[in-house]
Amino acid sequence: MRNVELQGQFEPRGAPNDAKHAMKFRILVALFRLNVAEELQYRANFVASLLGTLFWIVTALLTLAVFFRHTTRLGDWDYWEVVVLLGVFNTLTGVIEAVLRPGIGRLAGEVKSGGLDLVLAKPVDAQGFVSFRRLDVWRFTDVVLGLALAGYALYRLGRVPSVVQLAAFALALAAAVVVVYALWVALMSLAFWFVSVENLSVLFDAVYEGARYPVSAYPGVLRFVFVYLIPIAWTTTIPASALTGRLEPGFALVAAAVAAVAFALTRLLWRTALKRYSGASG
Amino acid sequence: MSWPRRYGALLRTAWLQDLQYRASIVLWLLWGVTEPAVALGIWWAIAADGPVQGYARADFARYFFALMLVNQLTIAWDSWYLDSWIREGELNFRLARPIHPAHEAVAENIAYKARTAGMILVVWLIVAAAWPAVRLPFGAGRWALTAAAVLLAAAMRFFISFATGLLAFWTTRATAIMELHAGISLFLSGRLAPLALLPPAVARVAGFFWFPYMLAFPVDLLTGAVHGAAVVWGFVGQVVWLALWVGAYRLAWTRGLRKYGAVGG
Repeated sequence: MRNVELQGQFEPRGAPNDAKHAMKFRILVALFRLNVAEELQYRANFVASLLGTLFWIVTALLTLAVFFRHTTRLGDWDYWEVVVLLGVFNTLTGVIEAVLRPGIGRLAGEVKSGGLDLVLAKPVDAQGFVSFRRLDVWRFTDVVLGLALAGYALYRLGRVPSVVQLAAFALALAAAVVVVYALWVALMSLAFWFVSVENLSVLFDAVYEGARYPVSAYPGVLRFVFVYLIPIAWTTTIPASALTGRLEPGFALVAAAVAAVAFALTRLLWRTALKRYSGASG
Repeated sequence: MSWPRRYGALLRTAWLQDLQYRASIVLWLLWGVTEPAVALGIWWAIAADGPVQGYARADFARYFFALMLVNQLTIAWDSWYLDSWIREGELNFRLARPIHPAHEAVAENIAYKARTAGMILVVWLIVAAAWPAVRLPFGAGRWALTAAAVLLAAAMRFFISFATGLLAFWTTRATAIMELHAGISLFLSGRLAPLALLPPAVARVAGFFWFPYMLAFPVDLLTGAVHGAAVVWGFVGQVVWLALWVGAYRLAWTRGLRKYGAVGG
């Protein structure tokens, strides 16, 4: 029997929707508590993670300094505007390293080894469980440092965002998180077709490298790819633009719509992919 | 068994292993070329209004294409292997073999690089057919010199990676040290920009270390950016630093093994 069908039988049928959602929420909370308790045992990792992030930020700023020795604008953005974008990039890196890589990032290996069986046998939504089962809490320092960097860059720009701009930024950033998540789900779904490729997450790292700079800095073809095909423009360029006031605040709604579409499409892809999975038994 | 036969066997094994994981290898290759590709994209935008300190758009294109190839030919993952060999105890059976584990690592490097650098070369040729900016003038002597410089750079990066990986005998963060090294080499080895475009003081400091000799020098040789005495000095720097790193490796290997044996009882 296919595992997907098996899984359906365990879902609490006929239960009222509220009760279902309450249970999902309780499961998430329980998972988070377990992870936090586990990670708190390894406090040295906090220092290592913090040092790693600070090193990365310094490297990124020096990189920009090298570019800006020879220009005053990058894709029509000035130095501190790009630093705002770097802050957003670092914030998203925190989300990726804290939640996505340790969770859904392990999927490719599990599809190969058949370890996914253990997930599918659980009476919960497989995508939700796979995505949020594991948490590297220390990497949330990246989120804090990233937002701090963006804030400092705004201060250097001498711009105080209005409440509307802040709201637009919050919405665009949330949309960015959803888009990044969707990219990971799409990528990991490929594991069901290309079973032998264990390092699929490398492909994300490769593409995401492009999100470190405003998308306007790239040649036309690449810009088209980053906006419409592999939508990484929506992960850093758009939230940073919302914060610096480059974009009309209303544009955040477009970002939210893009995120919704990306999420729906990858959910569909995930379901299709899961049907191909035949478990450890082959 | 004679050395050619030993290496024949090691190379065949490494090649077949890579064949098994060829899709994964293509992904690593992709990951390796995005950094120079993104850097090229940014310099391309900056050079839109004219050359940057003598570097026109086409010069950047040639520089970063050469960088992709040379980086792939000289890259060494051995720190990560050694770190896991030492921590997981996989070094034990390798020590029991009648051949030094470094030879297995060298064979793996050769097999991996022949495959991946070959792919880059093919892509480069295809791109060059359509895009004159990345064509290199033919020069047999220069290419021979480049080959020698690449070989020296590959040997140096191998010993850097191997020696650093051996630090796993003493610390659990050997790979973190290698990450730190990679971060510094982003600037000083020319991965981000030709050294001429760094602040002059930084470029001068870089010259006192091994960084330029492991990447920038062979790249500049290939694109024709260095001439005359600078070529000789480049080779001198390569040989000196290679010797120093071989020494560091020998020290770490003998000291580390003594410590490792102590752990085993």
